[in-house]
Amino acid sequence: MGDVKLAFVVQKPQYKGETSRLAITHAIAYQTVEILLEDGDTVTPTLCFVGEGVLGLQKGQKAMDLYEVTSTETHLKNCLLVDLDVLVCKEDLAKYGISEDMMPDAEDMGADKKIKVAPFSEIQKAMEDAKHILFF
Amino acid sequence: MKLAVFVSDFKLTYDTLDRLKADKLGIIFVANGVYHATTKENGEASSLLNKTLNLYALSEDIQTRGMKDADVDKRVRVVNYSDVVDLIFNEYDKLAWI
Repeated sequence: MGDVKLAFVVQKPQYKGETSRLAITHAIAYQTVEILLEDGDTVTPTLCFVGEGVLGLQKGQKAMDLYEVTSTETHLKNCLLVDLDVLVCKEDLAKYGISEDMMPDAEDMGADKKIKVAPFSEIQKAMEDAKHILFF
Repeated sequence: MKLAVFVSDFKLTYDTLDRLKADKLGIIFVANGVYHATTKENGEASSLLNKTLNLYALSEDIQTRGMKDADVDKRVRVVNYSDVVDLIFNEYDKLAWI
């Protein structure tokens, strides 16, 4: 089987529905899949945010304080901590006036990985390279 | 009819809202609807902000999404849950959630 690439594409904002969050938690869960694979087989997910999906990426989310639910920001940090590739559409960030420094990193948790702002063409490439594309 | 419409999505609400008529129309932005009050698309504020003068946005939902009350358009009054209860009981006869 070799390496199976998956593209998780988030196109909706967070919190109102569960699906856009599930994209993130499912992507993180790729590590647990390893116990079901043969030696040498791997799964490599890429988490992509496009369209309104980029709206859920701002840091400073108070979801735990106000609603006692884990924030999307926390899930994103966990993605970076497990070295997941996170691509955010550059054009859509510009469309909604969100700058790169408005998004979280996970340096405080010891992660080197950072969210990558990428043109849609790069996200398109990630989708083309993936065996399975999952839209949320 | 005094109608308060809870707008809980950022998109997919225009067609319905455009057809709703009320003597006094209030729009209360909650959940992902708060992006109408905080976020410009290609530099343009949401057209819903021109629909009525009675615009409200829920502070808890703004902050949940990493934004601040100060990010809200000047035309929109930032309210908390207690204020929303007052609006429901004192200002509007009927409610819709779209």
